[in-house]
Amino acid sequence: MVNWLLEPLGFAFMQRGLLAAVIVGIVCALVGSYIVLRGMAFLGDALAHAILPGLALGYLFSGGGRSSLFWWALGTAILTSIGMGTLSRGTRLRQDTAIGIIFAGMFALGIVLISSIRSYAVDLAHFLFGNILSVTNSDLWLTAVVGASVLIVIALFYKEFMILSFDPVLAATLRLPARSLEILLYVLIATAIVVSLQTVGVALVVAMLVTPAAAAYLVTKKLRRMMLMASLIAAGSGVIGLYVSYYLNVASGAAIVLTCTAVFLLIWSRHRLSKDHGESSPNR
Amino acid sequence: MKLLKRLRRPAANLAEFEHPQGTPALEIHNLSVRFGDIVALDKLSLQIETGLRVAVVGPNGAGKSTLFNVIAGILPASSGELHVHGHSPSRHICIAYVTQSTLVDWNFPVSVWDVVMMGRAGQLGLLRNPGQGDRELVQQSLETVGLFGLADRQIGELSGGQRQRLFIARALAQEADLLLLDEPLAGLDIPSQEQIFSILDDMKSRGVTALFATHDLELAGERFDRILLLNRRLIAYGSREEVLTAQNLALAYGGHMQVLETAEGRIVIADSGGHHGHEQEGRHG
Repeated sequence: MVNWLLEPLGFAFMQRGLLAAVIVGIVCALVGSYIVLRGMAFLGDALAHAILPGLALGYLFSGGGRSSLFWWALGTAILTSIGMGTLSRGTRLRQDTAIGIIFAGMFALGIVLISSIRSYAVDLAHFLFGNILSVTNSDLWLTAVVGASVLIVIALFYKEFMILSFDPVLAATLRLPARSLEILLYVLIATAIVVSLQTVGVALVVAMLVTPAAAAYLVTKKLRRMMLMASLIAAGSGVIGLYVSYYLNVASGAAIVLTCTAVFLLIWSRHRLSKDHGESSPNR
Repeated sequence: MKLLKRLRRPAANLAEFEHPQGTPALEIHNLSVRFGDIVALDKLSLQIETGLRVAVVGPNGAGKSTLFNVIAGILPASSGELHVHGHSPSRHICIAYVTQSTLVDWNFPVSVWDVVMMGRAGQLGLLRNPGQGDRELVQQSLETVGLFGLADRQIGELSGGQRQRLFIARALAQEADLLLLDEPLAGLDIPSQEQIFSILDDMKSRGVTALFATHDLELAGERFDRILLLNRRLIAYGSREEVLTAQNLALAYGGHMQVLETAEGRIVIADSGGHHGHEQEGRHG
């Protein structure tokens, strides 16, 4: 058993992959808690897909350097999130309609660009579905620094983000800079998505944002606890998923996401059972 | 550095604490609010002195919530002027707005204590954590409304009356001077209503001005210093004798309301609107 656990750790790529999975899991779980509480899952998914043209352009201009791709993706995500906010403002369009339009348009643009630079298609596929075993030392550093920045911003603006999410009317009457805080939150979501690209990829990142946070939401009564528990679920699923991927030889990102889903279903069914018995579960 | 300071204290240049002596709590001149072609409020003018408890009554769609949103400084007026303690509302952090409790996400993972502490965020400014003074104020506020024993509960575990008191406690922690309550008694039993009135009496004795939207004309006549009768325009503002006249009520409620002369005095029966599906009775003797 110990051998079974230790064997993969003999490989440097597995060590880096595990570390990346844990960092990305925590970052996504924290940011995802706000997404779950505010019902922004669609925005998260759309934002992830909308990054694709940024990645393609990054390839065209930089010839495929990893860290420059990271900044291209981040820039695209931030611009897109601001664009989505702006498009629905001042018209009769609902926010989710605006998101749908931009999301599909950007994704299509990404595919057009990729098809024009076919030789890079394989590497770009990694960003679509993730390839955590290709994480290099410099990738890991970048992920750690960006992840730590996200953590610091959330710690600094914890009370403001909580008020903004729970009671926008209070945020307005307390004259909090609601618009700026909203944009900051969008930037955090965009950042979490971009650091997840290598781990789970564009197509599955919404699961990292939403699933651990949703599982934690079912069984906690305080925001801090929800965030802590979501982080534990996400980090644990990252590690378990990667082992599953190693031993069953299946795609790593999908294995991590499926582990999250399994944990969610487990918690959900226990939660439902205790509810059906007419008692609020004691550890809530 | 300067930017950081401004960021930390967004309220620093607001008129948060200085309320010039003798200025009324609320001055409104020719205030109109339009949404496209729809006129929600039409050339409202009135003045409310500090420390009064005012019932805001009128049929559904009369603009009660719109008026509150403008007073709270979260909805701009289309034209006209509105001053709270002599300043534009958006320069104040002393306005507490208790919205209808159906608008609150009661499953949100916050405790009673957390919600009341939110009221301190305006004075704290950004990037600053609550200190001892803030905690004491939150505790006092919870004790005032009788919820201190439930401080650790998740808010969804509270009863209807407790939920309303929770938000009044937050207004106390906010050190609000102007309190806006939108239908705070909806669905509450008589003891819960009485508890809320006794808290409001306490706030009144500290000089807090309260505007209280309600459908209940009888209550408006009995428990308030002034009544503001609204139906997109101001029908009447004043004491109950001045406001609750057959003519005013007919203007406000139109065909949905009847005024009956009986041996006991005048009885007003107002249709509170389809959403509530029942009739409210108010007596005016």
